Amino acid sequence: MSKRAAVKNILWALSIIGLVAAIVRFRNGLGATTGLNDATPWGLWIGFDVMAGVALAAGGFVIAGAVHIFHLEKYHSVARPAVLTAFLGYGAVIVGLLFDLGLPWHIYFPMIRWQHHSALFEVAWCVMLYFSVLAMEFIPVALEHPFFAHPFFQAIGGLLRRLMLPLVIAAITLSTLHQSSLGSLFLLMPERLYPLWYSPLLPVLFFLSAVGVGLAMVTVESLTSGALYDHRPDTDMLAGLGKAGAVVLWLYAALRLGDLAVRGSLATAFKGNWQSGLFMLELLILAVIPAALLSSKRLRSNPWGVGTAAVLVVCGVILNRLSTSIFVQTRPEGLSYVPTWIEFAVSMGIVSAAALVFMFCVEHFKVMEGGPQLDAKAADPYAKPAFDPQTHVSVDPHLPRFDTGRALGMIGAAAIAVAALWPSALHGYRVPRTPVFHARGGKVLNIDGNRAKQSVAFDHRDHMKRLGGDESCKQCHHLSKPRDENTSCSECHADMYLPSSIFDHDFHLKKLGDAASCDKCHRPTRDRSTAKACSEKQCHPAYAPGPKQQAFNDMARSYVDAMHDLCVTCHDKEAARVDKPRLGECATCHKPQKGMRQPGS
Amino acid sequence: MKAAILTDVTRCIGCRKCVEACTKTYGLKPYVPSDKTAADGLSAERWTSIVERPGAHYVRKQCRHCVEPACVSACLVAAMQKTPEGPVVYDNKVCIGCRYCMMACPYGIPRYQWDTAVPYVRKCILCYERVRDGKLPACVEACPEKATIFGDRDDLLAEAKARLAASPGKYVNRVYGDHEEFGGTSVLYLSPVPLDFLAIGGKLKDDALPELTWRALGKVPGVALGVAGLMLGTNFVIGRRMKVADEERQRREAPAGEQEATGSDE
Repeated sequence: MSKRAAVKNILWALSIIGLVAAIVRFRNGLGATTGLNDATPWGLWIGFDVMAGVALAAGGFVIAGAVHIFHLEKYHSVARPAVLTAFLGYGAVIVGLLFDLGLPWHIYFPMIRWQHHSALFEVAWCVMLYFSVLAMEFIPVALEHPFFAHPFFQAIGGLLRRLMLPLVIAAITLSTLHQSSLGSLFLLMPERLYPLWYSPLLPVLFFLSAVGVGLAMVTVESLTSGALYDHRPDTDMLAGLGKAGAVVLWLYAALRLGDLAVRGSLATAFKGNWQSGLFMLELLILAVIPAALLSSKRLRSNPWGVGTAAVLVVCGVILNRLSTSIFVQTRPEGLSYVPTWIEFAVSMGIVSAAALVFMFCVEHFKVMEGGPQLDAKAADPYAKPAFDPQTHVSVDPHLPRFDTGRALGMIGAAAIAVAALWPSALHGYRVPRTPVFHARGGKVLNIDGNRAKQSVAFDHRDHMKRLGGDESCKQCHHLSKPRDENTSCSECHADMYLPSSIFDHDFHLKKLGDAASCDKCHRPTRDRSTAKACSEKQCHPAYAPGPKQQAFNDMARSYVDAMHDLCVTCHDKEAARVDKPRLGECATCHKPQKGMRQPGS
Repeated sequence: MKAAILTDVTRCIGCRKCVEACTKTYGLKPYVPSDKTAADGLSAERWTSIVERPGAHYVRKQCRHCVEPACVSACLVAAMQKTPEGPVVYDNKVCIGCRYCMMACPYGIPRYQWDTAVPYVRKCILCYERVRDGKLPACVEACPEKATIFGDRDDLLAEAKARLAASPGKYVNRVYGDHEEFGGTSVLYLSPVPLDFLAIGGKLKDDALPELTWRALGKVPGVALGVAGLMLGTNFVIGRRMKVADEERQRREAPAGEQEATGSDE
């Protein structure tokens, strides 16, 4: 199998896993499929897909500017790949956004409702307009294909080519605006964002790092395409990109550190906590090490040197965007964010799909100079087809063939993805269960079901005396399990906040004769549901002794509801009877106690 | 009249009747803590909560209805709106679900309906419809101790300052929610304990947050024109130089061709 085919197999597998993840995300919502929560509203899809994605696609405007504004013909060979990378990159950003938005069918609303004080409004409009500009820059390339030989398409292509200069100026302007505005998004979070990342210069820093990573991505793309399509990389051109990159990255590092120093926050970088470590790592990978590598003429003339530096910059910018939007955001204790595999799968799927489209374009259109042009028809539309003289079967090596191996691989990947889905993802968001612990104590019971150290001190002996001694047990212990004297509350009300079933199915199955006994409870007709079985068979009528006559068949209410319902009803009645209104209020029972941890503190 | 409420933490007994009234008024579902909600009691189904502080002090937590709300400036489709009467309300018909408002709020108030396929942002709206009809917000009406009172913001600020002056040692010497807190809020507090913990990061700043964004965003037209002009100018200058250099070269080569010199140049 060739390198190219192997790579495409992997990309297709990742795309199909992404598709499974996508279906589940749209069917069951964000809560069921992502790790997002109220403390972390923005996660991987914003941090990586949108913010890093936009930055990584910055190569388009940088190279377009170099070639069409600064007339640096040296970079002409990467102009088309850079524009294609940018076009597909922004397409990926928009698709990624469709996954993250809670109401993605409203994605076009910023076009009709304007709130221009929002940095996000500015980002939305600029990305929209820039995506159109990129489309207009790439369409002429696609129209060169013989499929579009009709004069109508040629006229459109010609018109767009004549508009190249205004399009490039628009591209540079729009890119400058939205790359910096992505940084401006965080300006109104001075306390949420850790001081080493927050800065009034955020727009400038985001813009500079975008230019740097744009150059890096063009380098990475050039080297990767070269490897995949057996193309020698233009080391002179790459060295030029590297030199420009070094200047931009040194400037970035200087600005970032200088800004911290001027605002007196530089000492925070040496505090020794994980944030300062992350800051150092980020600065090293994003700026310092790559800039040092690229400052050496020898290193940047070597494909390995320039490639290493480029990969470091790409990783550094991704880290920077993830840090700013997720890692160093302050969040309340107890709520952390761990992306689910569905989030990773969607992100990887989008990137893989974009890579596949990129390869398709490179193979069918004149994107790379002297490029692969594997589309033989495009290379020579008038060539006669070739046939095997013996079998008279076409031997055109570039006819698409059905690849059984790839198809099986994709089905396998999809199957693994489906098997890896967890209950919430499959059925919709499930609230986690909170098991109840029993009350502790003797005369005075310490009721603290979830052991949160917020307990209610219940004077058991006092209440027994008040309500009539031994005869009064059944007023609260309203249901006893078979052969039991007084079942404690938590045995049936087994979850703090959710109703729980008290029916021991396994025990009954064994007692009544295993599988043969199903019909004893479940109707032998179509409707064999639990609800029908429970409502029709009233077993154990003797086990409902108290005033609260409830059949064992019902679900036990949540512990919280059960406690409140039992106690508060009585307390409210007593409060009215003895004219002590405080008796029925929360704070009477939920008294803060010495040594107990306070919630919210 | 700018609607506002003032909560005196010393009068709150933690009975949570305000929470009950709010949930009943808006048909909110029973509170079930989960891995999607923070421990402060607020969620998509809880728009006000009581946070207990050391020393048995009960502090209401909810949307502060800021005078210059960060969420309103952040929302790109104006789903979050500051009404002329004071409350900050949410229009779910135009929301796109980007959750930037949740990132922007310095108190971390807006909460999301993570469990549905059509999720909205939810928070206290100061009973906007009731206030517009001249009624009291549900929580104010339900409070048995009159710990939370409703009125015009300026009147309540004056009342709060009067209480501070009348009992010097009883409260922390500030009205929480005055202009020194993110530009001012409509939900004011008098408290014997510091309320910095209500803000994320525990720091109450006096900048009105929308201003921080506008410092950058206001420069956008200038930057756009500047960049476009610079690019146009650069292209013109470099293009011109290249054209002149071409013409120079042609002039140098052309006379040799025209005169058909026997020179050795090409």
